[in-house]
Amino acid sequence: MSRKFPKLVSRSAPVILLMLTLAAAVAFAAVSHLVSRYNLNQQARGRRLYQQGLAAAGANHYDDAIAAFRAALTCDPANSQYQLSLARALRDSNDPRRLDEAESYLIALWQRTPQDAAVNLALARVAAHRGSIEDATRYYHNAMYGVWNSDPDANRNRARIELVQFLLKENAPAQAESEIMALSTSLPPDPAAHLQAAQLFAQAQDYAGALAQYEQVLRVDPGNAVAEAGAGEAAYRSGNYVTAQRYLQPVVNANPQDANSRQLLETAELVLRTNPFHSHISDAERNRRIVAAFAQAETRLAECAQQTGIDLPPPAAPASTNATAAASSSTASPLSNLQSRWTSTNPDLAHLHSAGETDLPDTIMDVVFQIERQTAAICGTPQGDDLALLLISQKREAASQ
Amino acid sequence: MSDVAPTSASSVPSPQTASSRLQAPRRLFSSLEDVFHEEVFFLILSVFIGIFSGLAVVCFRLAIDWMHLALLGPLPQSHSWRLFVVPSVTGLVVAALVLHVFPTIRGSGVNQTKAALYIFNGFIPFRTAIGKFICAALAIGSGQSLGPEDPSLQIGASIASALGRQLEISREKLRLMAPVGAAAGLAAAFNAPISAVLFVIEEVIGRWSAGILGSVVLSAVSSVVIVRWFLGSEPLFRIPVTTFKRPTELIAYAFLGIVGGLASVAFAKSIGYLRPRLKALPRWTQYFQPALAGLLVGLIAFLGAPQIMGAGYDSMDQAMHSQFTWKFLAILALLKIIATTFSFVSGTPGGMFAPTLFIGAMLGGAVGDLERIFFPHLTGSTGTYVVVGMGVLFAGFLRVPMTSVFMVLEVSGNYEIIVPVIVANTFSYLVSRALQSIPIFDLLTRQDGLILPSLEEDREEAILRVEDAMLPAPATILSAQDYVDANARRIQDSPDATFLVRMHPSGWNVIARDQLQRLFQEGKGELTLASVLPAQCLPSLYPDLPLDAALRYVNDYPLVPVVNRANSRQLEGVISRDSVFKKYGSRRAVEVPSAT
Repeated sequence: MSRKFPKLVSRSAPVILLMLTLAAAVAFAAVSHLVSRYNLNQQARGRRLYQQGLAAAGANHYDDAIAAFRAALTCDPANSQYQLSLARALRDSNDPRRLDEAESYLIALWQRTPQDAAVNLALARVAAHRGSIEDATRYYHNAMYGVWNSDPDANRNRARIELVQFLLKENAPAQAESEIMALSTSLPPDPAAHLQAAQLFAQAQDYAGALAQYEQVLRVDPGNAVAEAGAGEAAYRSGNYVTAQRYLQPVVNANPQDANSRQLLETAELVLRTNPFHSHISDAERNRRIVAAFAQAETRLAECAQQTGIDLPPPAAPASTNATAAASSSTASPLSNLQSRWTSTNPDLAHLHSAGETDLPDTIMDVVFQIERQTAAICGTPQGDDLALLLISQKREAASQ
Repeated sequence: MSDVAPTSASSVPSPQTASSRLQAPRRLFSSLEDVFHEEVFFLILSVFIGIFSGLAVVCFRLAIDWMHLALLGPLPQSHSWRLFVVPSVTGLVVAALVLHVFPTIRGSGVNQTKAALYIFNGFIPFRTAIGKFICAALAIGSGQSLGPEDPSLQIGASIASALGRQLEISREKLRLMAPVGAAAGLAAAFNAPISAVLFVIEEVIGRWSAGILGSVVLSAVSSVVIVRWFLGSEPLFRIPVTTFKRPTELIAYAFLGIVGGLASVAFAKSIGYLRPRLKALPRWTQYFQPALAGLLVGLIAFLGAPQIMGAGYDSMDQAMHSQFTWKFLAILALLKIIATTFSFVSGTPGGMFAPTLFIGAMLGGAVGDLERIFFPHLTGSTGTYVVVGMGVLFAGFLRVPMTSVFMVLEVSGNYEIIVPVIVANTFSYLVSRALQSIPIFDLLTRQDGLILPSLEEDREEAILRVEDAMLPAPATILSAQDYVDANARRIQDSPDATFLVRMHPSGWNVIARDQLQRLFQEGKGELTLASVLPAQCLPSLYPDLPLDAALRYVNDYPLVPVVNRANSRQLEGVISRDSVFKKYGSRRAVEVPSAT
């Protein structure tokens, strides 16, 4: 089917193709020159616009920043730094509609450099804005194990701290705690870093972990007041009142205006003074504390009943008490039941001195603890001796578990 | 020089040695010439067309960007005086250039390329490429609501045509140069070779032709390679996550298709209505028409919608990422229709591809968001509707259904949404075709006084087939194995004048009653019919062939057998000259009253 073609071409096809190749090469070179010059100009313009965008973003003028970054990208569309900055500005502009666009820029960057820690961190923050724990955790981890351009250790720790704060905000303390534990093992011997880790442990309600970190700080910086106060509070929250007293006492001495520490110290001291199960006290002292606690419980019960407008029946004779309690058990309020228990236990106090190694102290204190817990649930957290008894009950309960 | 004696005998080649040295390259040259037949040469030339077109489109895009930066600045803001002054003043310049220097560059360029193929033997002046380059870059760079794709297409076609003329290739090939260049230009502009090839096939060439497909593909691919080399392979849009989960959501996409079809009709009708009226105005008004269109576009931008200026790819990108409310998206779609209509009908050189995509994107986003307000369970994101919407307008307005589907897939790189795209595009196409019988490009060519073929018309034309004119198989069929006298006896009771003869082992022949009787009278009654008939058999036809195929034979043969494709000895019927003409005549009789 093929035919020879006419005139000029038929005589010199190879020559023509050679000439076309040369012409294409010349045109290619000319366009290359043109494009490179144009690109240089555009890149310079892009850099100026990028700086404008950074300045606007620094001043929290995100709309201006976004416009500048967009314009910079029209000058240099493949520039990943501009794309990253635009994505960050879109994300930080607090406009939920812009998150999609931010994410799409970041995903494009991520596909090109999945190991880039900055991109992963930006993606993690987008996911955090969306409240997506799974995505955020994944990208934060990518960022931690990714490639940082500078100061990788500090950046990794910062990323993990950010993840912990996000998890705590999203009410995921268990995940947060595991991240903090990982964080605590990688911290440099820097008091500030350990102080921050301790505070994160405390936020995650891991007071033992927090105490360990505060103590780490105090080993490096023994006079650190913040660490002492934190250690005292962490010890207090974890039920270690002796240690709490040890750390809080110098804090209060040094700064009597520190109301929080003073209150914690007072309560800790009260707990230590009130606790009948405290070691190193005599039987007589133990019995005295039990009697005092039992009396305190009755007072608390009466106050709570009054606060809630419940008329408790007057304490009856022990013989008839059981019958009354049994008859009214189905309809009585919790406070009435507590009072019945208190009344029925009251005669046992007389046998306390001869109790020896029996369970009587525990039985009596169980009534006290039950009253304190129930009244706390009904009438709110108590103060003073009642608070001390409540804390002792919580500690006992935790220990038994 | 002739006086200088040779320094040594060895330095002077003997005549024999010189001749043999010269013969080697000659042989090589000669063998190369043998290789380069026109078909091969045309294919290689297509690659060069792609390269040159790609280079031209790279420069064209740089020119538009540069114009935009120079005229409107890098950060055009609403309420800036530049927004309406720049397009107006540039419009005056463009009008002067179009009227006095480049009169052939008005409009998009698709029609001109098609006209070059069908009317002007592939001739597009190179001046057109230059004019289109300068004026379209000025117009689009200044913010006129037009796109760079159609001008790129025409620049590519113009370069190809000029190259073909310079090389003095055959007229047949020269005619095809324009579409090859057009594909290269469009592919480079869109960075989408498949869509470009399909568009050129669907809209410019108007028919599937294996002869040109290879060249079109080669040129499109080579131009895309060039563009990606220089401008990078960054896609036009950063496509967000697009999903299609529930088949019931196709109803939502079908609704988008219907809305898109209606918008396409409104867009096409407004252009079809305004264009001839503006052209009919006194010539002096044509100096101001682009400027007024620019002023309108600029005022719209000034009043708060700068997104409608230029091609608008950035805004489409933002729409894909949910940057606009559905109300604003709908407003942008409406404003873009108005702005593009006026920019285009004013005669400003520029394309309609990008505005079509823009309108579709905005409309898609608006419809999608609105649907989700009423049906919150819909899972398609705004980005998905925006992408589907782009294809919807493409199918409805440009009336290129296949290109529209592939364009969306190529641009989005996501095959998950192929079903929504097909459904929405089909609805859009059907609505548009029902309400606007003539596609926009055909309408424009007819307004210019040209009648060009279109694939859509070809598709819709009811073709007459052989079976439509076929007569029932004759009752008497003779056998070539029988003797002449036996066959003569068989035809005695038949009223027919001509008889088909079944040849052995296959084939058919024909014999007239007179001829058979004459053979019998000549004493050849004891010969078989096969021995007295010519050895060459009749051509046979199949029922599904176009009736035009029968025209080749009916003048030469009184009867032409129509046989079954599975069994050529099974006669389905016969075709005669009268039956064919009668069929054409009856069809004409039907068409003439309907035409009048």
